[in-house]
Amino acid sequence: MNLRMQYARPRKLDQATELLDALGTGAMVIAGGQELMPYLNYGRISPSIFMDISGLAELEGIEETAQGISIGALTVHRQIQINPVINSALPLLSFAAAQIGGGRQVHNRGTIGGNIVAMHALYDIAPALIALRAQIEVAGNQGLRTVPLTELLVETDHDLGTKTLLTRIVIPAMDPASGWAYEKLKITEGSYGSANAAAIVLRKPDGDLQVDLVVGAVAEQPVDLTGPLSERLRDNPDTDLDEQIDAVCQAVITDPISDQRGHAEYRKAMACVVAKRAVAAAIKKIKTS
Amino acid sequence: MAVDMQELVEDSVLLQCRVNETPCEEFIHPTTSLLDFLRENLLLTGTHMGCMTGHCGACTVMVDGSIVKSCITLAASVQRKKISTIEGLGEKESLHPVQAAFCEESGFQCAYCAPGMLLSTVELLNETPDPSDAEIRSALSGNLCRCTGYQSIVRAVRTAAKLYTADKETQE
Repeated sequence: MNLRMQYARPRKLDQATELLDALGTGAMVIAGGQELMPYLNYGRISPSIFMDISGLAELEGIEETAQGISIGALTVHRQIQINPVINSALPLLSFAAAQIGGGRQVHNRGTIGGNIVAMHALYDIAPALIALRAQIEVAGNQGLRTVPLTELLVETDHDLGTKTLLTRIVIPAMDPASGWAYEKLKITEGSYGSANAAAIVLRKPDGDLQVDLVVGAVAEQPVDLTGPLSERLRDNPDTDLDEQIDAVCQAVITDPISDQRGHAEYRKAMACVVAKRAVAAAIKKIKTS
Repeated sequence: MAVDMQELVEDSVLLQCRVNETPCEEFIHPTTSLLDFLRENLLLTGTHMGCMTGHCGACTVMVDGSIVKSCITLAASVQRKKISTIEGLGEKESLHPVQAAFCEESGFQCAYCAPGMLLSTVELLNETPDPSDAEIRSALSGNLCRCTGYQSIVRAVRTAAKLYTADKETQE
């Protein structure tokens, strides 16, 4: 363990990626610190150097672009809750960010980038981001690349925050005609969910429903039920929607987690419950004009 | 490593900030938390150390007017910012209206959580002068109390809202 931990605060993105590249292993990127500081306090991590990215202007701001709303990785949860652009184009994200545990202190300090990079099974907003088909911009020594968030989630050994930097999150604006909901089953106001679900529902011109549905806190990673559910709805158009969601949850959630919030069987059952609630609430919100 | 890259890396950080309106300038170790900086370097022990994991909120302070948990805030990251701690809230002889309300309604028993509860209340009332009970409970969800059962705290925040608004009107 290196007892003399060092610190660097680059002021430009290319400086930051160059430095990460030069430092090799042992460097760790820190922004709000809400994920890393508890580990540091308890000696669970001992990076040789902390690279503080809070001075990088390229990672700030919320902009409307041709690809969608581009949110800087340093944007804190509180900004996502109250920013007018996000409120109107991505209301599901604003709402999900308000459900993040830990209280306002964490909302004021925790960043959307840090939340994504941490990839904690219980964290809020990942289900919403996946349902919203978010893309992430990653900067490394090879330059900038844009990938779907889901692609990152399958890489169990990603190098974000150690070799590369998450710079921005780009999310297509929601269809104003869609209904949306984020349901979280939790023990206390500020706690992690025992199960959560994000749903976006759109009524297609033919009257059928297009349902984007992602459940979280039930497996190591959020489970996207959209594809399997849409196949089921197509093949069994006359079956009750709740029954279809139940069937899809049962089929797709194959490896539920167990922790102090409940054992695997309970978690899977609750994931079914919040998934159905989220879809029902989203349908109610569909604008019928 | 390139020479210009090496220049970016520091063994210690010169932290310059304002704490309760007083300018501070100290060399700190890069891993120092804001909590340790306040308690160990500045001897401002009114900010309490609870869990060191960001759950309990006893260490809550304000950075540029927004509450944060100082145990999970890297001190080096509050460069040139304004920090407010419980020591800066009121005087013994003239309590801040939020402090007065907590005294009046017994918004604490052991008071270990009180510094955090008070600062979270100040932020809430700055943004929402007349909060509902649901808003109060949501705003205090990052602060844990093991004595009161929260009823007297919610009552204290309601009283604080009245006193704080009255106090602001007098000042204007």
